[in-house]
Amino acid sequence: MEMESGEHALRARADLLTAIVLVALGLIVVYLSWTMPRLEQRHVHPATIPGLLPMILGLALSFCGLLLGLRSWAIQAEGGWQALGRALVSRPARRVLAVVALALFHTLVLVGWLPFWAASMLFIFTFIVLFEVFMTDQPINLMRSAPWALAIAVAAGWGISFIFEDVFLVRLP
Amino acid sequence: MFDGLALLAQGVGHFLTPASLFNVVWATLLGLVIGILPGLTATMGVALLVTLTYKMPPDQAILTLMCVYLGAIYGGSRTAILLNIPGTPANAAATLDGYPLARQGRAGLAMGLATTSSTLGTIVGIFFLAIIAPALADFALEFGSYEFFWLALFGVLISGQMAGSDTPLKGYIAGILGLLVAMVGMEMLHAYQRFTFGVGALGGGIDLIPAMVGAFGFAEILTSMKRRVVAHVAAVNDRVVPTFREIFQYWRTIIRSGVIGTFVGIIPGVGEDIGSWSSYAAAKRFSKKPEEFGKGSQEGLIAAETGDNAVVSAAMIPTLTLALPGSAAAAVLIAAMLIHGIRPGPMLMVENPIFLYQVVAMLLLATLANLIFGLSLTKLLIKVLVVPRERLMAVVYVLCVVGSFAITQRMFDVYVMLVFGIAGFILREMRYPMAPLVLGIVLGDLLDINLRRGLLLSDGDISPFFTRPISAVLFAITLLTIVMSMPVVSRRVSGVFRRLVRQGRTG
Repeated sequence: MEMESGEHALRARADLLTAIVLVALGLIVVYLSWTMPRLEQRHVHPATIPGLLPMILGLALSFCGLLLGLRSWAIQAEGGWQALGRALVSRPARRVLAVVALALFHTLVLVGWLPFWAASMLFIFTFIVLFEVFMTDQPINLMRSAPWALAIAVAAGWGISFIFEDVFLVRLP
Repeated sequence: MFDGLALLAQGVGHFLTPASLFNVVWATLLGLVIGILPGLTATMGVALLVTLTYKMPPDQAILTLMCVYLGAIYGGSRTAILLNIPGTPANAAATLDGYPLARQGRAGLAMGLATTSSTLGTIVGIFFLAIIAPALADFALEFGSYEFFWLALFGVLISGQMAGSDTPLKGYIAGILGLLVAMVGMEMLHAYQRFTFGVGALGGGIDLIPAMVGAFGFAEILTSMKRRVVAHVAAVNDRVVPTFREIFQYWRTIIRSGVIGTFVGIIPGVGEDIGSWSSYAAAKRFSKKPEEFGKGSQEGLIAAETGDNAVVSAAMIPTLTLALPGSAAAAVLIAAMLIHGIRPGPMLMVENPIFLYQVVAMLLLATLANLIFGLSLTKLLIKVLVVPRERLMAVVYVLCVVGSFAITQRMFDVYVMLVFGIAGFILREMRYPMAPLVLGIVLGDLLDINLRRGLLLSDGDISPFFTRPISAVLFAITLLTIVMSMPVVSRRVSGVFRRLVRQGRTG
């Protein structure tokens, strides 16, 4: 894979971090499956306890996580941690966080509170304006973006409601 | 054999109604648009549309979904050629020779070749589907719990192995995570609720569609929005429809790529992108002019597009006969079929034998529609590319919310979508492949039930898993898969394969 060494180092460190998480997760799953009721009072065959496969999977996960961790540890990764730290606060990361924040706000806050078409229009409008005017390397004028954003928000919000509810008879939140 | 032909004719005749044809038309156009727009993938399109088609009768619903699926794979080659950006991951190999051709002023030829070779690829896949599927289903009726256990395990493992990434370990981990997700909820043998932690809504487990919409929809939105992308679209000035000779001088490549694509499609969880790359690599290996590959080789483009489309039809073979998804989108199709009361698996040919031939008919109609629209509407369709991504993604997100909610009418499923979207995005950033994850979710229950039922039948003895003839073979194949992924062994063997593919990728 053609990657500069900086990115390579970043990935190695990120992999190491995830490997630790995976091993921990695997062990938690094994613990939870081990303590899962064996249903003896129902005279269930011991080989068919509900926790059987989860236990095996938990062990497999921890094992794979371990292998991954060893592999990442073995990779030469100068400056990997710093690169990882930088990546987490970089502009792409902030854009992604903004999308997540907006999405969560729409789905967790707006949807129950406003009718769906209104929540969606508000979301679409804010989204477009935010990413065309503010969070971008090539911002365009607010006056140029806003009317289009409004038009799309209204059209899409209404369109989706209409198509799903009236044409295809699917109920919306 | 004539039975099959008669049933096929029946299948096709079933769909020659105005309503069906109307569905074929709008679904194909929608699929083409989804394919063309980078940031929208075939799997995402199918997942979102499952909700839209929920209230339609089963055959129409599946018809619509297949048309969208096929259309998206076709459409993706447009952007690959004109923008050097594959519209869907399956079309990545098409960029290597399609874009140079466009830069040489032959964009029309490139798109015409892509369309016709896509059609031929689908047809090769359909041919094998019609022949192999009934035979395989017959054979699969002999399968018992032990065999299905190995099949499910093999499906997840092979998908993890081949899904491409820096190491098969990540593929296996993705598969295990998928299987663990499937463990949540009520288990089938004793009706015991696993891993619900008191949350009532988890009792039914995690539904596939919201998880897919999250992992392939929301995660894709997040990935697209990372950077602002400005597209430079190459102009289309030349003739689009290729001449007969232009296509058929490469008939060997077409057949070879079609067969490779079919083979890849049959392997569970290994999708259109692998089919495309493998066909491309093989074509380069056997070509009389390998030096042209990467610089505008028509043969390379034909190989890539025939390969990825053959996968679409061939992926239906394991999907319909074994309920083992041949690709990620096929996994969504399984979920859609279950929603509409069609049960894929060996019993499908017994309960509903005409359905297989209806699927073949759907693929034929979709192919025809793609051929017609692809060749005639190309210049019009690429106007779609002017839509700025920010605007598109905002609307797609709303569709994701609707898509996850509509079938079960629970906000819980929308939350599932959010979780899988964020987790899916993080996993993708870390180079974990999504296909094994999806396969794990789909096959988890199958694996679990068959493991324990097998043990129950043999009273705790695990030897039938290894001594029954079919099981033994499947076990050997699974073992081989794992062994092959160990660096010591694989460095030798897949070094050869990877050299071919890398040659293909860097030209």
